[in-house]
Amino acid sequence: MKHFTSAKHIMMGTMGIVVLSALSGCQSAPEEQASGQTEGQNKFLVVEQLSSGKYVIVEEMPTEGPSRAIIKETDENGTVHERVMSEAEMKELADQEYKKMEEGKSELNAEPQGEGMGLAGTILAAAGGALLGNMIGNALMNNKNVQRHQDASNRSAYHRSAAGGASTATSNTQKKSFFGNSASKSTASSSSFGG
Amino acid sequence: MVSLQSIKAIDDRTLEEFGFGWHTDSDTTKYIANELVVLSDAEAEAYYEAVNELYDMYARAAQHVIDNNLFFDLGIPFNLIEPIKKSWENDVHWHLYGRFDLAGGIGGAPIKLIEFNADTPTSLFETAILQWALLKHNGMDEERQFNNVYEAISDNFRRLVTLFDDPEEFEKHYDGWKILFSSISGNIEEEQTVRLLQQMAIDAGFETGFEPLGGVKFDDEGIYDSSEEPYEYWFKLYPWEDIAIEEPELATQLTTIMQNQKAIILNPAYTLLFQSKGMMKILCDLFPDSPYLLKTSFVPLTGVQQVEKRMFGREGANVRIMDVSGSVIEANDGPYGNFKPIYQEYVEFPKDLQGNSYQAGVFFAYEACGLGFRRGGKILNNMSKFVGHVLR
Repeated sequence: MKHFTSAKHIMMGTMGIVVLSALSGCQSAPEEQASGQTEGQNKFLVVEQLSSGKYVIVEEMPTEGPSRAIIKETDENGTVHERVMSEAEMKELADQEYKKMEEGKSELNAEPQGEGMGLAGTILAAAGGALLGNMIGNALMNNKNVQRHQDASNRSAYHRSAAGGASTATSNTQKKSFFGNSASKSTASSSSFGG
Repeated sequence: MVSLQSIKAIDDRTLEEFGFGWHTDSDTTKYIANELVVLSDAEAEAYYEAVNELYDMYARAAQHVIDNNLFFDLGIPFNLIEPIKKSWENDVHWHLYGRFDLAGGIGGAPIKLIEFNADTPTSLFETAILQWALLKHNGMDEERQFNNVYEAISDNFRRLVTLFDDPEEFEKHYDGWKILFSSISGNIEEEQTVRLLQQMAIDAGFETGFEPLGGVKFDDEGIYDSSEEPYEYWFKLYPWEDIAIEEPELATQLTTIMQNQKAIILNPAYTLLFQSKGMMKILCDLFPDSPYLLKTSFVPLTGVQQVEKRMFGREGANVRIMDVSGSVIEANDGPYGNFKPIYQEYVEFPKDLQGNSYQAGVFFAYEACGLGFRRGGKILNNMSKFVGHVLR
């Protein structure tokens, strides 16, 4: 028999991220998904720990405010803990991991072994450009292994969605508009027919 | 008795940051209560089961209305009968979402159907997003809320393509079809409700656009935004009966578009059957033993306290409560007096210690998917407050 479902999945949706971002004190909420993704744009991430102990990105949004991440980790009792990671903390982790990469000691140097990475690698792959600057961002973008890790460990719709191709407007026949009298209501707070 | 738990409010600025601008009513009182209704898992489960059963009953009753040509009894405008039948015949006219308003369900009071907002339901942002945000803001466990609205409606968007198959199959079948979302200009609540639905559709994987109602263009070949970009789906937060009465030429145009199979309109025209309060009389005829129905008639009931409502009245307008002798105890004016009346047996809403009434609103998107409450007086109207909930 099916049962009712609780609210635990909301933060997987874009609106969940927008709300969490506002509640966590981010000055401006993440913007709606733009079609032209810029590499250096700040990111709002939700990072979740898998039962293997590795981490994956479950949501990713561009934001006008500082980058920040919500980290969901599960302790040995199975309790989920959430914490907000500031841009400075993210930067520190990304910086350490990038140094390891340069020394050839990061898991990002090799091909991914299944889903998930260490926390620092996860953050570097998803937001390296935003945290460490465009030059490093471009280097990461052009690194095949980093991209494979991203594909394997980033479940967010933002990462998966390719910008949709623009289709052309058609026909020059006469089209009509309606709602000339009723299409505008000046009320700000009340719904005229919400029921 | 409704039990409540006090919580810390989210400040207006933060609410506005995530798109909730209608936090204050026109009398300057706050629209969102600083309390949550506390209920048990069993009570939430009972709402879930009731609404799933009620939806099945509505679907069977709609078939009965169509088979027996009862449109006039339900007050359906004649120029919508064709689109109602057309939309009912083909599953691609998928019902995206609706909201059942219910009395009872708390403290042992039986659940009773008050009405079904099937065409243009609001309270969506409050139920799907805001009450969850209140849990997060207060450090409470998000597992303890009956609220799967966001995911359920996203999945139902995918079913526009997959129909009864698994919505996970969406990406396999999706071919770039676009949904245009529209609301009237200048009403923040309606626009944000529509923009929330648009975001759910984007999360589902659809390409989308937004155009205020007045900017949408129509011809026999389809529906377009103001740049004349064609769309395969059009979601309008605008009542079908208002299209029929105020924009009859559009009703004809939409019928042609449907006949030519150029676009699909959401919610489908048949949701106007569900929306008609006359359906509750049909339900009583078809399911006389259902525990969820209040006795409902097209003529005044005898010997019981009752409520007179209009077929397409909304938000408690044009509602009169009458005692056993037929004297009016309480009444709300409104713009819906031209619609035919129905008479429904009166039932008390659950109350809190202060004597406020609580009406449950349960959203339905393929199945019951989330619960919220409205708090007010005997007649729940546009000044009533939204109250979130938590499972104890």
